[in-house]
Amino acid sequence: MKTLVRGGRVVDPAQRIDALRDVFIDDGVIVEIGERLAADGARVVDATGAIVAPGFIDMHVHLREPGQTRKETIATGSAAAVAGGFTAVACMPNTDPALDSPTIVSEVVRRAHAAALARVYPIGAITRRRAGTELAPYHLLRDAGCVAFSDDGATIANARVLRNAARYAIDLSGPFISHCEDAELKGEAVMNEGRNSARLGLEGSPGLAEDVIVARDLLIAEDTGKNWHIAHVSTARSLDLVRWARARGVPTTCEVTPHHLFFVDDRFEDYRADGKVNPPLRDAPDRLALVAGVRDGTIDAFATDHAPHGADEKAQLLSVAPVGFSGLEIAVGAYALAVPDLPLERFVALLSTNPARILGVPGGSLAPGSPGDVTIFAERPWTVDAYRFHSLGKNTPFDGMRFTRRVIATIVAGSVVYEDGRVTPRPARDEFAPRPTEVAR
Amino acid sequence: MRSRSPTRTVAPRSLIDIDDLSRDEIFGLLDRAVSFKQTAPPRDLLAGVPVLNLFFEASTRTATSFTLAEQRVGADVISFAPGTSSLGKGETISDTAITLRGIGVRVIVVRHPEAGFPRRLAEAFDGHVVNAGDGPRAHPTQALLDLMTLRNEFCSLERLHVAIVGDILHSRVARSNIVGMTRLGIDVTLVGPPTLLPDAFAVDGVHIERNFEAVLPRVDAVMMLRIQRERITASLLPPLDDYTRNYQLDRRRLDMLPDGAVILHPGPYNRGVELTDDVLDDPRSRYVAQVGNGVFVRMAVLDLLVNGARAA
Repeated sequence: MKTLVRGGRVVDPAQRIDALRDVFIDDGVIVEIGERLAADGARVVDATGAIVAPGFIDMHVHLREPGQTRKETIATGSAAAVAGGFTAVACMPNTDPALDSPTIVSEVVRRAHAAALARVYPIGAITRRRAGTELAPYHLLRDAGCVAFSDDGATIANARVLRNAARYAIDLSGPFISHCEDAELKGEAVMNEGRNSARLGLEGSPGLAEDVIVARDLLIAEDTGKNWHIAHVSTARSLDLVRWARARGVPTTCEVTPHHLFFVDDRFEDYRADGKVNPPLRDAPDRLALVAGVRDGTIDAFATDHAPHGADEKAQLLSVAPVGFSGLEIAVGAYALAVPDLPLERFVALLSTNPARILGVPGGSLAPGSPGDVTIFAERPWTVDAYRFHSLGKNTPFDGMRFTRRVIATIVAGSVVYEDGRVTPRPARDEFAPRPTEVAR
Repeated sequence: MRSRSPTRTVAPRSLIDIDDLSRDEIFGLLDRAVSFKQTAPPRDLLAGVPVLNLFFEASTRTATSFTLAEQRVGADVISFAPGTSSLGKGETISDTAITLRGIGVRVIVVRHPEAGFPRRLAEAFDGHVVNAGDGPRAHPTQALLDLMTLRNEFCSLERLHVAIVGDILHSRVARSNIVGMTRLGIDVTLVGPPTLLPDAFAVDGVHIERNFEAVLPRVDAVMMLRIQRERITASLLPPLDDYTRNYQLDRRRLDMLPDGAVILHPGPYNRGVELTDDVLDDPRSRYVAQVGNGVFVRMAVLDLLVNGARAA
């Protein structure tokens, strides 16, 4: 199968290309970038007036399968991914059971392949059952397809366990990913600690709850030499700690969500859980520091922390309603809104080049030989309607907002899986069936 | 705190916090309460109106006071204490609201351990909701009875200076009083240790003071809040001796309080913690007047919400 993306402005930071070019994909792989390429029997995708980028990779999503398929399935999450312009996602291990054994990981990989939409890279647990005490089998998990390791929302409280985990897994290229929240400092918080929590009589979690774990984990990274990724930074001080660690040569990267870049902790007047998320939406100085961190390069990646829930679950009392909301289908518009005038080359680097590099997965470039994964987007206004999400999670604080940038089409392994609002699975015979055991040791 | 004052010509449908009321509505309510105190109102003000007292949290004073107020205006009173685990947690709030309205309830007086529950209930309920206390958030009828008590003592509330002392962080009484008092032009000083009174409470018209004795000589009223012993295990307080050394109202500190000042306490009090027996015996103490006024304030609130303009 051949596909020609014609007439678009190709932005590929990995090759330092920003020019009008055509992209030719054959047999699932990019074979040529050039001017006025011949169709040669290929399906032609008209990208006139649009931007053509290497496929976007969301390195932080929750697909809820196995165990919570009422919230999302691998199939619906994959559909949401391609509808949001993502050709690949990395899914967190907080499923039920957790992604802590090769059997479960293999099943996730199998179901993602059956869905035949986005590529799905599982993130394995650091500890068994994400309980923070016993180490997970990292090499077996890697063989089954895991590209990184994390206990996600269950911050490992025991520094000895975390240090030993990092030492044991030191030979694996997949990073450790930390969700940084100190459970004791956080307490039963439902929002950020500050003037709004004081006034509303709601328990708040201080930014300090994040900062102390970021500091600890970066010190463990330095101590062990393990490559380390800080998930969804939300405070100015966390960013300073990342800068400090980098200056010391610690191999560390970090990501930011669209909601932390755009919203602050003023969304709880109605005592609804629409804005309840971990880490919580912070105050204006933190938000501005995050935007600055994107501009100055401290932040490596955009990652949505796509966390779908049922509408009835989110409608519960603030104390019991679950944390998080859907992010895949608003990401492109929301990031453009949150960081206006970010150079396109940086925008693409944060959504594609850098996540591919951090996770060590194929893609992140349109260079010949790369996977035929392409995201086409344009400056076209649209309004978010969460009810129309492909995700089963219909909640987002961005609902009803007007965006200026939107996804036009998504191509995975040469197949147009999303175009004109329609999601179409890849053909049954797939050149990119995951064969994780072949990953080089 | 926030001084968003409602502007409207019709009476509010529900009372969730003091900021649901304009300055004029607060004064109207207090006038009405005073008139009820002077002359018993007709017993058919709320004749046949089904009022549900829905207390998810134990209460002695407030529940009794509301029940008596409801009976005095002729309402059909139903009281129900569901416990926190069943209703309101299992089923959604809107399902609860629709069910209760379907049964025929027109007014819900609700107390709940979680901040925001009455607001969420009021949004879903086709009737009136009166907040009888939601977690640390609000207790508007308590603030109204405190204002009624102060108004009975001082000819004007404008520029009056009131200190609220103790566990501000967990106090719905403090939060409602801060809003109500600042709305009426009262200067509020909050007193307490940083763990129970974070700096985030300092807003327009509200001052924070850590030195109780520096405040005492210059207040017109001091409101003492209860200290819950579980705050010690939550690492918010050292042994109580240390707290009482700084913040207990005792014989010695009573002498620093001006003669014309009054002492308020929302109850229940812990003798020997935030105050000593001397305080309760002191002629400046207004605890009994406060609980007495509570019944009339609640009658006035029910009248305003159900009968609207007639009460204004």
